[in-house]
Amino acid sequence: MIQVLISGLFLGSVYALLAVGLSLAFGIMGILNLAHGSLAVLAAILYKKSLVFFPFSPWFFCVLSMPVFLAFGFLLHLVIVAPFRNLSLSASVVASLIASLGIALILEDIFVWWQGWEPISTYIPFPTFNLLNLKIPGLRAVLLGMATATIGLSTIFLKKTDMGRSMRALAQDKEAASLYGIHPGFTSMSALGLATILAGLAGIFYSSLYPLGPRQGLDLTLKALFIVVAGGMGNLRGPAVAGLVLGFIESFAAYLFTYTSTDTIVYSLLVAYLVLKRSGRHQ
Amino acid sequence: MKRWQILFSIVILSVLTIASAVFNEGYVGIFVFSLIINGTMAVSYDIPGRSLGLISLGHAVFFGVGAYCFGLGISMGFSFFPSLFLTLLLSFIIAMLVTLLLAGLNHGYYSLATLGVLIIFQKIVETLEFVTGGSAGLYIPDVLSKHHYSLLAALLLLATAACHVFFSRSRWGLYSKETKASEDAAEVVGIPTRKVKILCLMTAAIPACMAGAIHLARTSYVSPPSGFSLTLSITALLSSRIVPVSGLLGPLLGVLLITTAEEVIWTKFEGFNHALFGLILLGAAFYQGLFSDKELARR
Repeated sequence: MIQVLISGLFLGSVYALLAVGLSLAFGIMGILNLAHGSLAVLAAILYKKSLVFFPFSPWFFCVLSMPVFLAFGFLLHLVIVAPFRNLSLSASVVASLIASLGIALILEDIFVWWQGWEPISTYIPFPTFNLLNLKIPGLRAVLLGMATATIGLSTIFLKKTDMGRSMRALAQDKEAASLYGIHPGFTSMSALGLATILAGLAGIFYSSLYPLGPRQGLDLTLKALFIVVAGGMGNLRGPAVAGLVLGFIESFAAYLFTYTSTDTIVYSLLVAYLVLKRSGRHQ
Repeated sequence: MKRWQILFSIVILSVLTIASAVFNEGYVGIFVFSLIINGTMAVSYDIPGRSLGLISLGHAVFFGVGAYCFGLGISMGFSFFPSLFLTLLLSFIIAMLVTLLLAGLNHGYYSLATLGVLIIFQKIVETLEFVTGGSAGLYIPDVLSKHHYSLLAALLLLATAACHVFFSRSRWGLYSKETKASEDAAEVVGIPTRKVKILCLMTAAIPACMAGAIHLARTSYVSPPSGFSLTLSITALLSSRIVPVSGLLGPLLGVLLITTAEEVIWTKFEGFNHALFGLILLGAAFYQGLFSDKELARR
């Protein structure tokens, strides 16, 4: 049972990382980026392809991939955020939702063409160690540490740096932030860049733990979206906790029932939560 | 709706009905059948989509529910019309449950929940292998001729179009527009907004369920990904939104455009059909982004 709990903790940390990026994008720009999970799959594919040429360790590749994913984030901003600046809030949410879904579908086909249908696995052998009679896989423990550190660093970035403060100001009041000299376009572009980096890292971590299908991006996005809704849109702590909870639920569902029923249970719980959650309802 | 729009809508519906009677075999027959089924999905989607402004990413839930209910009816030994009646009954109950769950949600939350419900149904059907055939799908024997299915589909489209027109002209249509403009203001003037949403969503759900049943009857096969298909939901969404014309004409023109584009994509660009569909989505989003809300409303 404790082994299941530990497994849930590892999976939950990756979900948390994925959801934190999505929450950042929603909190600052008010967009539901359906291509978020596909960016995670892209990172996993890039990592796998790079392993052919250089035997990078995941952590080294994570550092290397950051500027690349920042650039992807900037590009994505030009497609799913910038064109809809003149629309009202509800219309821009819908337009960016449709545009990001379009990007997700395009990426899925590119992944299948590039990588084939085979699931992407970047597992590398790592020693297992014993702690209080529990077998702890070393790789998972390291990845858990890295995921926690990434979320921690992102929180520090948002709270302590000028750019982070600008992002938070923009999330609170766009017009007031502009009056204080904050450039909304550049700030939101940076926020999406940061969110994309987090998605990329989540993809690398996920593929190191479990095989990731080329068409699994939308599935990951949906789980991350539900985590964000459950944890609270626009903050980082809530989605991080909700991500961990989802990891535990998935692990326990797989342990208690069959693996195939996991998604049914998880999605049912998430929709139930969404329906019961007051912020989703008309007050 | 202006007079020319009404006339144009009648022309499209008449052409589709006649085409369904003339072409019911071969490639053209299948294409006309797809146009009619997608037309039913788009017109039914448009009822809550346009009047309430709700973006559903899971309209295909009702299509899948209808298909599986009908398939189970036939598998249990019922003949065609009792199975269709059973589908109507079961679909009504399931659609009511789904609608009651989702009617309280707004905008992004609603879109998200509909997508979640679509996946839940897909997974449930995959899990209940002993009833639904699981991932392998459900096969049913051919009961009537292709000609009958095409005509039934055309009748369903006409009935859905009539529902669209009657709903938008009824007081419930006006209530739904008020609800879309401001739910708080609508409640203040005494509009039962929740009831309006439920009625609107149910009016959209039932034709989609029946479309699923007729589609299965003609194709004899349904699987979880084809029944509860995200692509089908997006086709309905795009068809309803892509042509900025109010009333029934918008989704009808939209479905002609999107289904034709979809057909070209499937036949000419095999392996990249999702990508090209994604490009259409991007195009639709950019089109919306080119104009301000006021400009779109004026059009």
